[in-house]
Amino acid sequence: MRSVLVLAVCFIALAVFGPMFAPYDPTAINIPNRLSGPSAEFPLGTDALGRDILSRLLYGARWSLGLAFLISLIGLCIGTLVGLAAAQGGKLVDWIVMRTTDTFLAFPELVAAVVIAGLLGAGTGSLVFALSITSWMRYARVARGIGLSLKSRGYVVQAQLAGMSPLAVARWHFVPALVPSLIVVWTGMFARAILGISALGFLGFGVQPPMPEWGTMLLDARIHLRSTPLQMIWPGMAVATCVLAINLCGDALRDSLVERTS
Amino acid sequence: MMLAVLGLILRASVVVTGAAVLTFVLLWFAPGDPAMAIAQARFATVVSADVVDQVRAEVGLDAGFWSAFKDWIGPLLVGDFGNSSVTGREVWPDMANAIGYTVPLALTGLAIGLAIAVPLAVLAARNQGSVLDRFAVGIASLGVAIPQFWLGLLLILLFAVQLGWLPAMGARSPTHIILPALTLGLGVAASLTRIIRSGLLEARGQGFLPAFRRRGINEAHVSRDHVAPHAAIPVVTVFGLELAFLLEGVVVVEVIFGRPGLGDFLVSAIFARDFPQVQAVVLLTALLFVVINLLIDIFYRVLDPRIGEHDA
Repeated sequence: MRSVLVLAVCFIALAVFGPMFAPYDPTAINIPNRLSGPSAEFPLGTDALGRDILSRLLYGARWSLGLAFLISLIGLCIGTLVGLAAAQGGKLVDWIVMRTTDTFLAFPELVAAVVIAGLLGAGTGSLVFALSITSWMRYARVARGIGLSLKSRGYVVQAQLAGMSPLAVARWHFVPALVPSLIVVWTGMFARAILGISALGFLGFGVQPPMPEWGTMLLDARIHLRSTPLQMIWPGMAVATCVLAINLCGDALRDSLVERTS
Repeated sequence: MMLAVLGLILRASVVVTGAAVLTFVLLWFAPGDPAMAIAQARFATVVSADVVDQVRAEVGLDAGFWSAFKDWIGPLLVGDFGNSSVTGREVWPDMANAIGYTVPLALTGLAIGLAIAVPLAVLAARNQGSVLDRFAVGIASLGVAIPQFWLGLLLILLFAVQLGWLPAMGARSPTHIILPALTLGLGVAASLTRIIRSGLLEARGQGFLPAFRRRGINEAHVSRDHVAPHAAIPVVTVFGLELAFLLEGVVVVEVIFGRPGLGDFLVSAIFARDFPQVQAVVLLTALLFVVINLLIDIFYRVLDPRIGEHDA
């Protein structure tokens, strides 16, 4: 549990403070130094426009992790509200809401996100919209399941009969039951969002150049695969490390949750 | 049982209808002027407003939402996906051609994934906690975290650029399928290994197994008749997830390897704002997805009659 916290803190620090350690402006073009290999001056080399890759990676963390955080948070909010509405709203509402959820689930997330982001026109706004609108369904299912099981629990029914306000019931009975499970789902979706952002960036539908998002950097690097292969190693490693670390956090959280409930 | 299956089929058809409507609404209300994009894709130059208006009328974009919807859904019900707005050709033959590239790729990828994941997961589960087990879990966790398109680039770098053993771009010869299929397959293997392993471990932990063993039933029988069915449920679940993974993977993998399959078809259709083509791909994907998940739901009920007793 402690190592999980340390990791989480490291990532927040990377996204917030990373750019402060960047030696150069990530968008500063420097043609004479284009496609240079690693050196004392440019620790990871430069790209096709002579921009420092280390600086771009560090600034890229803010785009990739920051946007993934935003997207997974939007998904969490929509999904929880939808799920609870389904659980609380009676049979008909539940049916309509859950079939809507199934309909959204009928499209593979990334395929749907590519179509939506592509049609809205490439850019950060459409990227966030496309990935949020395709990622709330899991939260909704979890929230609905917990909501339904709580509704029939004796202590919740008693609290309602005793005249506890709906807000207080939500605060004292629903939130504590929902939070742990939703956090576990959230870590998984956070990791998926990082992968989604980089995939859309790589396909050209995501964060647009010259902004240093990791997937967009890989798209640039791909053209120079033969001449400077190292250029494409770093952004991919950054994505993989972040996703791996977040997945490990999720696993540890889930294990501690299972331990607590059993 | 029949009633439950009918219920599932009804539910699936509601979802497919919803998906069709959602697809149309999304495309119809997308910002930007599709007629302009289509005209530019057709003539590959800057076009005058007259030409754009002409294209708009020709493609039917000047009609209202409902009449356009009716014009689309009517032929669709008899399996007619309409004509491309850019080339004017029928959508289906071109799409079928693309599918011809995608299906072998997806199946080869799945086969590679299974060939790696099943033995690895079985070995890992048999020796739980051993070095091999930890190695398998570690590799699988890493594999899940690696973006598919990066893995593809790494494979191109190693096998096509550095070693020069395999071709990377296009689909001219049978050997062209190896690298893209390997990219997909390694991704599939990573997620399958973890799930098959935990499915096996859970099945092994069942309380009735020691009872069978004490009664002298041999280990092969116990594995086949009692462990395997229990482990099958999570594996069946995973097939649904794997399908999504393959469909998503195919899009990026085909773009990287320049394979003229369905993913490539979709991406170029989006850029050209070719609505009939985009609609056809999205709808076909959703249909495939819903049908497979329907089969999985039915399969669950066959494997474990307890499932579905509460909801129908």
